[in-house]
Amino acid sequence: MANQMGNAYALTLLCPIRHGVPEQCPEGLAGQLCADCVRYLLQDVMRVSEDSPMARVPNTYLSRFYILDDVPYQGKPAVLEHLKSNYLVFSANFHGDLDTWLTGMWSAIQPEIRDLLQYCFGFDTVHDCASFITWIRKCQVETTFFFDGSTDEPLAVQLKNLYLKQEFSDFVFANQGNSPEAIQANFREFVARTQPGNIDGPTWKPGAYSLDNVVTGLKAREAGGQ
Amino acid sequence: MSNIAGKAYAMNVITPLRWYTAWITKLTFWIAAKRPSTTLGLQTLSLIHYARWVVIRSDQFPRVSEKQPREELKYNYMMFFSNFNGSWDQYVDSFSSAIPAGLNMFWVLNIKYPRSVPMLPFHRYITSNQIWTDHYYNAYPMAASNDVKAAQRVGNGLLGFIDDTKNSSPDDFQRKYNELLLTLQHDVSRMGPNPIVSLSAWAVEKRLRDEHQTAGAQTHG
Repeated sequence: MANQMGNAYALTLLCPIRHGVPEQCPEGLAGQLCADCVRYLLQDVMRVSEDSPMARVPNTYLSRFYILDDVPYQGKPAVLEHLKSNYLVFSANFHGDLDTWLTGMWSAIQPEIRDLLQYCFGFDTVHDCASFITWIRKCQVETTFFFDGSTDEPLAVQLKNLYLKQEFSDFVFANQGNSPEAIQANFREFVARTQPGNIDGPTWKPGAYSLDNVVTGLKAREAGGQ
Repeated sequence: MSNIAGKAYAMNVITPLRWYTAWITKLTFWIAAKRPSTTLGLQTLSLIHYARWVVIRSDQFPRVSEKQPREELKYNYMMFFSNFNGSWDQYVDSFSSAIPAGLNMFWVLNIKYPRSVPMLPFHRYITSNQIWTDHYYNAYPMAASNDVKAAQRVGNGLLGFIDDTKNSSPDDFQRKYNELLLTLQHDVSRMGPNPIVSLSAWAVEKRLRDEHQTAGAQTHG
């Protein structure tokens, strides 16, 4: 199946957006089309980086949303043709199988999903996680060719390794020229602090884009007396 | 709206192809998947996190309700999604320079595809068929794809080294430490936020951050 390569999954959705003006729309958008409401939510309401709702969906490496208004025209002698609906295109790369990931998504960000997808055809049939998965599978299109240029590890392992890479780089620079005894003693302290075998923490926070707040799980552990 | 999330760029391209050439293109992809040697060039572009191609017929556009009109398109469409590091120009030029034959193999049957070389017509082709991303999320915006791969080697190297040096004398520890550094010399480096490559993306992020902080302060106040 081209959607999957190793444990990495490539999900592609084309969610058809309803035509016309919705009964309920975000404040200030009265009279706007459903597609405009979706675009507004994506561009102006959804936060970015670690505050993105997608940061709360387990095992998500990368994801994106865009609206496909129409198909592009290539100029003469190509045929000029148009889509009959707008589509909310969603693409995600994640670790694991689809149902587990969608269940995690529903549990983590159900309000945001409802806000966004309420403007799509057929979403009124979604009442719970099972009906959400059924609806998503109807919107899914099969990947023809998937290229995985990353490591085939769960996100938590990748984030822990990135944390270790950063910390170990600091350690190496700081210990240049030290005696063997000093390096060995400092390395013991490094291992006690960074806990390389502990995936849960300290580690990097999903989506964080500042060195000031990227490390998570360190203070709680220190408070625990370690 | 931004195609950029930290060090990653999201490219979306959609291009038409005739139904009978779509089958040949699908066969090409199928062979590429079965014979990894055909994608060696792609693998050398280590700046890519993930990429995918989706070839879709008119009747494969999802129809989830009776109220939704059925699509009636003459062409098939190829959708391309990529997550890569660097700027648009760097990426498109890397493709064009490093794997021109590979690019042609996947796109050559698409309508009015100009071929990957010379670069200028190829740039125009991608630009005119690219769609901007409305929301882009990256779990590790400070890391390039090469950082993720390097981090795996650092993590595995450290775990082995810790086991191996539990009972080492200081001199033995130093010898093994030097060996570790020699092995990881290409992987040890610091990461951080990107230099600003898009002022508009930076302005949007700053505004959203500011609004979020203001909303948070009002909630707690």
